[in-house]
Amino acid sequence: MSRNKSSKRPKLVHEGFLGRLNYFIVRAILNIRQNIFVNVLTIGTITLALLIISFFLLLFINLEGLADNWSTRVQVTAYFDQELAPQELSTLRARIQSLPGTERIDYITKEEAVKRFRARLKGQESLLEGVTPDVLPASIEISLHRQSRDNLAVEAYVTLLKKIPAIKEVQYGEEWVKRFTTFMNFMRLVGALLGGFLVLAVVFIVSNTIKLTIYSRKDELELLGLVGATKLFIKAPFLLEGIIQGAAGALLTLVILMASYFGFLHNAGNFLSFKPSDAGLSFLPAEYIAGIFFGGMLLGFLGSLTSLKRFINF
Amino acid sequence: MIQLHNVFMTYQRDATALNGVTLTVPRGEFVFLTGISGAGKSTLLRLLYAALKPTRGQVVVDGQNITRLASAQIPYLRRAIGVVFQDFKLLPNRTVLENVAISLEVLGWGKKDIGKKVYHILKQVGLEQKIHTTPLRLSGGEQQRVALARALVNDPKILLADEPTGNLDDENKEQILNIFREANIRGTTVVVATHDRRLIENSHKRVVVLEKGLIVEDSNVPK
Repeated sequence: MSRNKSSKRPKLVHEGFLGRLNYFIVRAILNIRQNIFVNVLTIGTITLALLIISFFLLLFINLEGLADNWSTRVQVTAYFDQELAPQELSTLRARIQSLPGTERIDYITKEEAVKRFRARLKGQESLLEGVTPDVLPASIEISLHRQSRDNLAVEAYVTLLKKIPAIKEVQYGEEWVKRFTTFMNFMRLVGALLGGFLVLAVVFIVSNTIKLTIYSRKDELELLGLVGATKLFIKAPFLLEGIIQGAAGALLTLVILMASYFGFLHNAGNFLSFKPSDAGLSFLPAEYIAGIFFGGMLLGFLGSLTSLKRFINF
Repeated sequence: MIQLHNVFMTYQRDATALNGVTLTVPRGEFVFLTGISGAGKSTLLRLLYAALKPTRGQVVVDGQNITRLASAQIPYLRRAIGVVFQDFKLLPNRTVLENVAISLEVLGWGKKDIGKKVYHILKQVGLEQKIHTTPLRLSGGEQQRVALARALVNDPKILLADEPTGNLDDENKEQILNIFREANIRGTTVVVATHDRRLIENSHKRVVVLEKGLIVEDSNVPK
């Protein structure tokens, strides 16, 4: 009699997508509370691992910024025998501007060239006695776009520039551009290698930590299977737990990173006797911050997913 | 309800646990499986809740052939079977309420209904006062009753129990046996694997004796 009475189908709360999702979220939060020690341990590991990557990214971004600053020195100068008439100059400007890679054009008259020359030789004016504006040629100084500042792009640009008849000579500091390009390529290679190794190490450490936490709860996984839980029912709360752990780890990482960065900026002037504002340092851009946050969540999710496969095999 | 036809079960390295078992348990029957350790009792039970698939032969439980059952269908079969494990399998960091509730959570029951049903079943096994206690604070007999409550809470068609009275005193044994009887009276088919002769003698139920993976005796009243 009791059997018939209790066999009446009660109201099911896990029906429908939202009902299920709600149950899984509540279960995941309960699981975290019931296994607080392992969860704190996992979040701590994820935080440390992401901090290593984030500090590396911060360093790399600032080094790139610094190198980008230096690359503005890559400049091409075109010389003319004679001063150009305004009409000629505007035609030439338009032609140079149309060349791919041109960012900015500055026309330097003969008078301006002498003025600069005098400024550079300040204190040794006697050397300039008898120097008239006619001695130095008029020129156009061309700044190139960021992507056109390596030696191959500059060489290609110069070849195009030399085809313009009015230009007699072109200079661009060939050696410096070559060395700069080599340095940039080397830096990017080292960055990619180091970054790659760091990401691999982090994935390895985090997935193993999650594996251990799931292993510590293998009895729970086994029992759920034995009382008739489907694979989805068993896995979903664990996967959500992984995502929550990843998100919490990523948030902690970003808080620590920000605190360290602004703490460093604040104190750098005192103990390093340098002005951070002059050095052009910057924090991670928004897309990197989002990347760390979602990367953390993905790490937690994938760590749980791969670990669960070992324990659910019915 | 349960049918085994010429079932063989061989583990790795040719260790044979069942050696051609044929057995029928009709709906609503109470059966004791007995025999010395290693006779094949636990293996037979594990076949019934699809934790194992037989090496040879057919196992039909609640109308479903275990041998041909897809893995996605196994959870649905298990919902019709309550199992009391030899080692209880209680979760130490969850309360008695939460441990018993698991069987209803997987069915999708709401919190209110679960609370009522769990309280009801704990009252039946005499543990309603311990509803918020964790298993580690319970005696062996109490833990056994929690495991029983978890197996019975969703009114299963079949109840399987593996050595449910091991290490229990006579008073606790009698209490456990009474709970089995009550479940059986309500219509649940009960299969209990035990080597406790005293438990069997007092029960006056069908007894199946296993020896080296074979049924050597099958009677309604034990000798």
